[in-house]
Amino acid sequence: MITDAAYRELQETLGAENVSREPAVLDGYTWQPFTDILGLPDSWCRYRPAAVVLPGSTEEVQEVVRICGRHGLQFKAMSTGWGAWNAMGGENTVQIDLKRMNRILEIDEKNMYAVVEPCAVCSQLQAEAMKKGLNCHIIGAGCGSSPLASATSLCGYGWSGLTTSYSARNVLGVEWVLPDGEVLRIGTPGQDAGWFNGDGPGPSLRGAMRGFMGACGGLGVFTRCAVKLFPWPGPEEPQVEGLLNDVTAEVPDTHAMFLIAFPDLQRWADAAYSVADAEIGYMMCKNAIGALVATMMPRGLKELTRFAVFKDILKTLRYQFQFLVCARTPREFAYQKAVLREIVEECEGICLDVSKLPGLHDAFWWGFVRAAMPPLIFRMGGTFGTSYGALEGFDHPAYQSQEGARLKSQYTETGRLMDDLADNSWGGIYEGSTGFGHQEELYVYDPRDSAQLEAAEDYLAGTLVDTAAKKLGPGLGFAGGAIVAEIFGPLIGDYHEWLRKIKGAFDPDNVSDPAFYVSPDPEKLIAEEMANRPGMAQSLLSVMGEEDTP
Amino acid sequence: MALQDMERDMAGCSRCSSCKWIPHNQVKSWRFAQGCPSSTRYSFHAYSGSGKMIMGLSMLQSRSELNDDVAGIIYNCQLCGSCQVSCQVYRDDIDLSDVLLELRAKCVEDGFLILEHMEMLQSMKKEDNPLGMLKADRGRWAEGLGLPEIGGRQVEVLFHAGCRYSYDEDLRGTVRGTVSLLRDAGIDIGVAGKDEACCGGRAYELGYQGEMRNFADDMAGRVKASGARTLVTACSDCYYTFMYLYPKNGLDLGVEVLHITELVGRMIEEGRIEPAGEVPMRVTYHDPCHLGRRGESYKEGWSGGDKLLRPVRFKQSGRLGVFDPPRDIIRALPGIELVEMERIREYSWCCGAGGGVLEAFPEFASWTAGDRLEEAAATGAEALVTACPWCVRVFRDAVTERGMEMKIYDVMELLASSLGGA
Repeated sequence: MITDAAYRELQETLGAENVSREPAVLDGYTWQPFTDILGLPDSWCRYRPAAVVLPGSTEEVQEVVRICGRHGLQFKAMSTGWGAWNAMGGENTVQIDLKRMNRILEIDEKNMYAVVEPCAVCSQLQAEAMKKGLNCHIIGAGCGSSPLASATSLCGYGWSGLTTSYSARNVLGVEWVLPDGEVLRIGTPGQDAGWFNGDGPGPSLRGAMRGFMGACGGLGVFTRCAVKLFPWPGPEEPQVEGLLNDVTAEVPDTHAMFLIAFPDLQRWADAAYSVADAEIGYMMCKNAIGALVATMMPRGLKELTRFAVFKDILKTLRYQFQFLVCARTPREFAYQKAVLREIVEECEGICLDVSKLPGLHDAFWWGFVRAAMPPLIFRMGGTFGTSYGALEGFDHPAYQSQEGARLKSQYTETGRLMDDLADNSWGGIYEGSTGFGHQEELYVYDPRDSAQLEAAEDYLAGTLVDTAAKKLGPGLGFAGGAIVAEIFGPLIGDYHEWLRKIKGAFDPDNVSDPAFYVSPDPEKLIAEEMANRPGMAQSLLSVMGEEDTP
Repeated sequence: MALQDMERDMAGCSRCSSCKWIPHNQVKSWRFAQGCPSSTRYSFHAYSGSGKMIMGLSMLQSRSELNDDVAGIIYNCQLCGSCQVSCQVYRDDIDLSDVLLELRAKCVEDGFLILEHMEMLQSMKKEDNPLGMLKADRGRWAEGLGLPEIGGRQVEVLFHAGCRYSYDEDLRGTVRGTVSLLRDAGIDIGVAGKDEACCGGRAYELGYQGEMRNFADDMAGRVKASGARTLVTACSDCYYTFMYLYPKNGLDLGVEVLHITELVGRMIEEGRIEPAGEVPMRVTYHDPCHLGRRGESYKEGWSGGDKLLRPVRFKQSGRLGVFDPPRDIIRALPGIELVEMERIREYSWCCGAGGGVLEAFPEFASWTAGDRLEEAAATGAEALVTACPWCVRVFRDAVTERGMEMKIYDVMELLASSLGGA
């Protein structure tokens, strides 16, 4: 509940039209996908916001958080707001919807960065960047996501990670409204020296700001940030017709898409290392064959999975990548293709030139460059979840994908989760020659079916237990709320205690909703988790060997 | 159908917010990336297609209640269908536009009515039009043309002018010119004169679904009385009603239905109309929502239950609306240059007039039109051409309000100009 006095202050600050406590409006922020991570029986999150506000500027955000502080309210900021981690962690929390702050403030062509507000989305940024011969990183959630949110507050990889890395590596200067309402500009903007650097002068605060997973709204509000841009060796204004699978486009003669597949996981990983060493390619990413078929023809996959022989045929292509070459000159194009073919041959794989497949090449080319395809995964079952995904040298992600498929087959083969051929890992290598990468294991289910939702939660819990048991490292399952930090912190250098110290320093009054970051009161958190989602909590606590300890 | 019949669709929403944007593969700039006027103007998630579905589910599950504020959100929407197109890029199992229609029906059923809409309904019931005009004046637009009226002799083509063209004196010249050129080109065309009535689609869209039946029955009666094999309309709202709402509700007019641009485009292709006069102008074309994506003919309902298994051919993706005939007519005009805006065809931005917004929320209608006019101006065009009287009306008013130079035409006006008729 929000008091009339607090509500009135919010209205006076933002204008009545930008504040609401209408229950039907608030439910628009209570409904989220991926609620398997919260152990919920449907897509309604546990807590409805006390109110929702639409600030239009940094100054208004400052005022909102101060009002929350004065009135004993917590706040939680969101940008595009897609996913259960946008959910309120408790009662008396104000949802700060940043939709009105949606500008691209600057594209610095020379220094290759863009300054964005929270609700400019990747498709917009990419379109504007390309006009200057540049491109941006787009996370796996796709181009409808906010570059600011993933850079400052979450962890996201992307198809083009080979050249654009992942979200945490792309954040430069940041404007940050702290939980007490003060504005902190980290990096060069703090010295009015432009936005080109996120560190210093003095000790860098980037790590404190976001760490590995980001604070998911638990450490204030990020109102502006600069993100890196990268050279785009393609057209400034791509000529594209069609909406998705029907896309036709003028693909440059020096661009081509390949499907490369290998006989086993080892040689698949070897090929990734070789590509990294050779520093070729624009994009190299695994979209599992089941996921590809499911997104293009979901009913077809359902039919095919009824027959073991078809499943086996599809599985022969499981160790594969989609590989995109984007060269500037014919000579460079020929070189990259030749190197790719040599690597594939060395690793005893096959290389299918998708550009020879009319009808598919254009859609794949633009679909992967624009990263518009991700929501297609909803076609198969209604929604999906993800786990594993630790960033490591590429043999390790390969092992993670094997583990994910092994665990999941128990669910897909019994019909508890949608049959995606079990192997549905996604990801690639990042930053070229560094040779690190990730594979996250997707699982598909219908959130309208509580049994499937329960199975999804069960599988997710299993993957986390597996992660701990086999020391697979922190991955995307770690976005499962503050409880995850309590469980895994002791296994990973007590990182949860460091997070708690950062939280205490920046937000001593705990005004910024910490539900997906770290709890100032771990005992209370664990008790609540045991009460709210006993299945998941018991599984996680088993990691600590404390199954009976609330 | 009722709101509860859409529960599975609503519960399927993954809140990806695609419904707020044009399909991302077509985003060409920061400025013109938005698809949903309601969400863009009012920002709360509730105003988006997703937000409205979630509100509907919330009410259906008694988590929240319908009230005047919620009804206001539901009606601050042009039913333009942009959300449906963007949603169906990804989803086979959600019919967003049908949810929006059922939300309005629930508002009416529960007594949350919009005053201006009630006045439209009263006018429809009393005078057979939603504009508050007299039924007796309905046929005046065609006075002096000597067109055969139903009840006289049988005709091959029945021309349905629609309410806006019948009564808006500023726009009458367009339909007068149109039927004249059809007749001159040898088409055996007739009209219903003062007996023409509203198609009823607007009542359905406002949530008074049952009211459409009477208008539809009357329409079918007039078509039958005319003996026509083809029904032609110049109004995109009527076209949508004939192509989607009637068949969705089991109503079959039993004749071929064409928008005027389809018929004329066909005749130009066949050489029966030959535009000769120069139209030296740089123009851009605005796709009316109800002719374009919403004008896609109703696809017989999927009877297989789980829509996750529904084949694509059953989806109202909006891709099969009327997009090319108006453009073909423009391109056939000597001397004219057609330049496209960023948001076109099934991902076009709305003019702002639809869904009862023009009557109940004129400021929002004008704001929406203004956004489109800025997009048109960005192409360097001196005129915006469209194919719907409602679009022409709201654009002309918005141009006047803003003091803009942009000229607004119906495509048939330009054709008439080329043929020397205007």
